[in-house]
Amino acid sequence: MAVQDATSEVLVDTLERSLRNRRIAKHVGIFLTLTLLWELGSRMGWLDPLFYPRPSNIIRSFWLIYFQNANVWFHLYSTISLVIIGWVLGSMLGIGLGALVGFNTVIRRFLKPYVIVLEATPRIAVAPLLIAALGFGVNSKLAIIMLVCFFAPFINTLSGVINVNEERLELFRSMRASKTQILRKLVLPDAIPVIMAGERLALTAALSGALVAEFIQRDKGIGSLILVYTRNLNMASAFACIFTLTIIGFLIFKGMEKLDHYIAYWKYEGGRERMSSKRKRTMVEP
Amino acid sequence: MSVSDQPIPLSGRILDIGVRFLPHFVLFAVIIGAWEISVATGLITSIIIPRPSAIWSAIVELYITEGTIYRHFFITLTEAVVGFAIGAGVAVSLAIASSLWDPFRRYVTPYAVVLNVTPGIALTPVIIAWFGYGMGSKIALAAIISFFPIFVNTLTGLVQVDEDREELFNSLGASNVQVFRKLRAPAALPLMFAGFKIGLTTALIGAVVAEFAQATDGVGVLMSRFSFQLNMAASLATLLSMTVIGLILFYSMEFLDDRIVFWRRESRRAAASRARARTWAAQAKK
Repeated sequence: MAVQDATSEVLVDTLERSLRNRRIAKHVGIFLTLTLLWELGSRMGWLDPLFYPRPSNIIRSFWLIYFQNANVWFHLYSTISLVIIGWVLGSMLGIGLGALVGFNTVIRRFLKPYVIVLEATPRIAVAPLLIAALGFGVNSKLAIIMLVCFFAPFINTLSGVINVNEERLELFRSMRASKTQILRKLVLPDAIPVIMAGERLALTAALSGALVAEFIQRDKGIGSLILVYTRNLNMASAFACIFTLTIIGFLIFKGMEKLDHYIAYWKYEGGRERMSSKRKRTMVEP
Repeated sequence: MSVSDQPIPLSGRILDIGVRFLPHFVLFAVIIGAWEISVATGLITSIIIPRPSAIWSAIVELYITEGTIYRHFFITLTEAVVGFAIGAGVAVSLAIASSLWDPFRRYVTPYAVVLNVTPGIALTPVIIAWFGYGMGSKIALAAIISFFPIFVNTLTGLVQVDEDREELFNSLGASNVQVFRKLRAPAALPLMFAGFKIGLTTALIGAVVAEFAQATDGVGVLMSRFSFQLNMAASLATLLSMTVIGLILFYSMEFLDDRIVFWRRESRRAAASRARARTWAAQAKK
């Protein structure tokens, strides 16, 4: 029942194949042609520039909001700092509760109906409620981010803890492993890849949660900036902000991949060798 | 786990269910009671967390005596379902096209990935500017954010087929159409339905968030309206309807999954083969 990221190996594989040296020129060509068509369509009056901004205007807006006016930094800082704090707090809560519930069958049995109900509710929908309860500002934003972050790590930790390989557990027991040993050497290593998948989803969800909170509060943050620009029909700047989010999303994706390689190193090709050679070095030194 | 074929008498079954659920009901009652008392004694401010009895009376008012919720309920449900249908239609057809034609897959993948790493919710203000304040913008947002999980899952299912089976098909001289119909499509169905389940949930989120941003009807509007009137009881009662929509969507998809991908579950497979045997017997009789 663990929640998985939608980005599959097939897609990554295709992406890698399609971005190989010889093909990249073709890709850039197609992209430039599309962009040029868009620009032309806008200049010829087929696309209303009020709603569908020209690529050249979007590039100019990037320059404007990042360097000339430099107003985006403040909002970016506000959003990103909240996302990271909320993600850390929310997923810590999720992992802790997930482990607690996973190890305790009684709690698990009693909590199950509530989890099912919570799973079916769109959790972002609680945003207005939380804002009304906690007031405008940082508190309610953090609460929303924590709420949307909580669930994936919770469920994944829970399922990671429950789905321990029975045979291995038996082996551990027959060798008289203590409970802490079972936890440290069996349950945690088995659960970590699943937990990391949950963490990755949670970080993406955190960004969405922050955006929704900012749409409602409209005070600061990249979400409120997008809203204000769109209201003023300054679509080029709105798109510059959205593409900024694309870059952030991409960085999140790559960053989580790196973190996964670092934490769950045994899952990846070469990771185990790298780790064992590192251990060897540290063991030889003294 | 083995289940005996002997039917348990009805009275016994009711008793069994009663015994099984009694602790849950007791716990639920205790929680509600503690909540009610702590609000009544002023331990929790009733503005922020309303009494359960107040929530209950709000539920009665919204759902039974006034029935205001149903219009909004069906509007949101329609937005989510129509958006999902559009998103799923586009996603499945693109996935099929890119599974059949490798260059297409290579050129489509980068854009799909870019769409995925951008938080779809960030597009809300722009989508509202494009499609207006009515249902169109909600449907569009639901379609956009439900697209990716369905696309990825269907593509993965279509591409990652068992190589031995593919070899068998090839060595028996199966045509491309046969390979697709008898091998790839059935292999993709379970994953496709997993994608549909994720997509439905995200479609609901898209519809609700777009309603938060700007709308006149829908559960999201009702929710934010009640929240900003600090009518928390009514707001929570509205949240309940979102949970109900979520449950309806999820379980109807689960039902379809069970019917269409019948071979995954033993009992369903047996039922399907029995039905087939009956039709063949009827044909033989003729």
